[in-house]
Amino acid sequence: MPPAGSDGGEVKTPMAVIETPAETVDAAADSASTDRPAPAGLAAVLGSADHKVIGRLYAGTALLFGLITLTLGTAFAVEGLKPSTLDVFTTDTAFQSWTLFRVGLVFLFALPLTIGVAMAIAPLQVGARTIAFPRAAAASYWGWLMGSGLLIASYLLNGGPGGGRESAVNLWIAAMGLLVVAVLTAAMCLGTTVLALRSPGLSLSRAPFYAWSVLVASVMWMLTLPVLFGQIILMYVDHRHAGGVFGGDKVLFSQLGWVLKNPQIYAVAIPVLGFAADVMVTIARVRLNARGAVLTAIGAFGALSFGAFLASTSEYVAGSPVTVGIALLAPLPVLAVLAISGDLIRRGKGAVSAGAAYAVAALLLLLLATVAGAIGAIPQTDASGTIFDVGVNHAAVLAAVIGALGGLHWWATKILRQPAKESLGMLAPLLLFLGSVAVVLPDLIAGLWGSGKELTPDWTGGIEGLNVLVLIGAGLVGAGLILALAGLLPALRAGEDVPADPWEGQTLEWLAPSPPPLDNFAGPVPTVTSAEPLIDLREEK
Amino acid sequence: MAENALALPPAAPPARPRVLLAGTALVSAGAFMAIVGLVGIYLSTRAGVLASGSAWLPEGAKIPLTPGNVAMATMLLSGVTIWWAVDAVGKNDRQMAYLALGLTIFFGVAVINALTFLYTQMNLSVSTSQGVLIFSITGALIAMITGGLLYASVMVFRTLGGEYHGRDREGLTAAALFWYVTIAATAVIWYAVFIVK
Repeated sequence: MPPAGSDGGEVKTPMAVIETPAETVDAAADSASTDRPAPAGLAAVLGSADHKVIGRLYAGTALLFGLITLTLGTAFAVEGLKPSTLDVFTTDTAFQSWTLFRVGLVFLFALPLTIGVAMAIAPLQVGARTIAFPRAAAASYWGWLMGSGLLIASYLLNGGPGGGRESAVNLWIAAMGLLVVAVLTAAMCLGTTVLALRSPGLSLSRAPFYAWSVLVASVMWMLTLPVLFGQIILMYVDHRHAGGVFGGDKVLFSQLGWVLKNPQIYAVAIPVLGFAADVMVTIARVRLNARGAVLTAIGAFGALSFGAFLASTSEYVAGSPVTVGIALLAPLPVLAVLAISGDLIRRGKGAVSAGAAYAVAALLLLLLATVAGAIGAIPQTDASGTIFDVGVNHAAVLAAVIGALGGLHWWATKILRQPAKESLGMLAPLLLFLGSVAVVLPDLIAGLWGSGKELTPDWTGGIEGLNVLVLIGAGLVGAGLILALAGLLPALRAGEDVPADPWEGQTLEWLAPSPPPLDNFAGPVPTVTSAEPLIDLREEK
Repeated sequence: MAENALALPPAAPPARPRVLLAGTALVSAGAFMAIVGLVGIYLSTRAGVLASGSAWLPEGAKIPLTPGNVAMATMLLSGVTIWWAVDAVGKNDRQMAYLALGLTIFFGVAVINALTFLYTQMNLSVSTSQGVLIFSITGALIAMITGGLLYASVMVFRTLGGEYHGRDREGLTAAALFWYVTIAATAVIWYAVFIVK
């Protein structure tokens, strides 16, 4: 009832500028209640800011690029059988193709695949109804896709490091910049989601391991990849305006070499630890007392993957005690998670699943990467700067790929539509692991005992005899990837009565229906009172 | 007025716990690292040139102190005005908030002006390694300042539209955070490039 004035009439009080006019409120309410048809078909994909759709787009496109990249890698393995003859590549194209393979493996395959799974799952795990800054998340995907397209186009136009056409080399630098900005945008969305959109009661100490690892990875990417972006600015100004006073086309690849070496390359594989811990604790069906140890291990691994200080490419820094110390410490967090996982398997009540097979394979490969990185960092081995670095890179990247494929399999009902095929899911990580080891070991051996300089334009690295093993490994990795994709095919079909929680999970993503609706959860998300909210709910029943 | 305000529907609770602020913190950290990385490469390259016995700046090139010092002092002053804006919005003093934000934007534009004036005084070509580094670093700083100004401007309009007020000033606080980090980045460049040279 409005207040009356002294004359009995209604008092007209001026409205404060911060108040919303009543008609605007009514109009907004009407607009919200209007039933608008949900976009369908291509419009639902291209215009979507739903984190699950964006995650699927990221993962699907990365897998497509992954198949292309691995094919290129296999071609190099064939070339490696007799490198002096250069049967597959010409002298002119060998170096460009090699850089496309190395950059593509990280920026077109492993990193976006990891981001895709994280984007689909991390918001669900923390009980959020959306990802933070959903339109920025969508922009990150389209920006990444555009950057990837431009990167490939630059190579086709004779660009890239060592390219013959200046404008195409400039295009390559710009495409790299776009890729980095896109990845940073995705990292910002993911990190903010875990930091700021957790459901009530879900403190960071109660956060699921995977969500925690995504936060750690996002923070590390946000702290290191901008240094690469700064370097890309420098490359562009140098190449476009200064005529290459820093060395021109040939040194472009070596300038970003720190991103592809340890410790920085480990940052791609940080979510492996979270995925493995989550899977192991779920199949063990126990509350993990050593949660703090796992969280600390993941955080420590993230901190040890900080490699931006190597951006200045100073040999002194590369061989300094700090760098060696970081490399020597890096295996410890992986060992800690592996040991806790082993204990969980021993105590476990559940059956062994494909998710666990992926987790063990990814962890063992990451352990190989970090141990090799530790050996290579010891100055007496003289391994740094040789093909040994390529071996460490491949081990870490393939660990990230196996972990992400495991995530797609484990969370298939949330990311896709139905459970993935378990039998194929058990075989795929085995092939991927064996293939990865076969790819990695020859490079490590060649780096330690061979003539192996890291590949140069005339492509003469490695020990020829061992390259047969690399070819076999590449074939096994390819077969493992195809098997993994085949295992995911049934999950693409729409199904009825898909279980929300096929694994008797502990964390909030299993509370969401399968597949999750647009706002993720069918009802209200309960207040979290422990690190295992779904066990709490089951015990309440 | 008071009764009228009480009759309003309850405002939506602010996003918990501050999505915009967390996102801005991450972006600010990233932007700062980009600048620090560039400065690290600058110092490393400079150390290499000095170790070879050569002078760092090419003959005829110079970096006068005055424009750099003025830019740094102006950035520090803008730190006060953006704090003033956040404080004014906290007190629902909109006029002061607009004045403070307007001054911040004015100071930011003045810093860009000072840096571009410096370019005319340096007599430095971009086709030298020193030129590549200095123009890349200061260019990145100008981009960061421009981003901060755009962010602050958006927050001015949002505040003008009534989105932020005393109870919820997250947007302005986030813009202020980015601006403080920009000031820190300016300080790093001021010391490493303009003072140390």
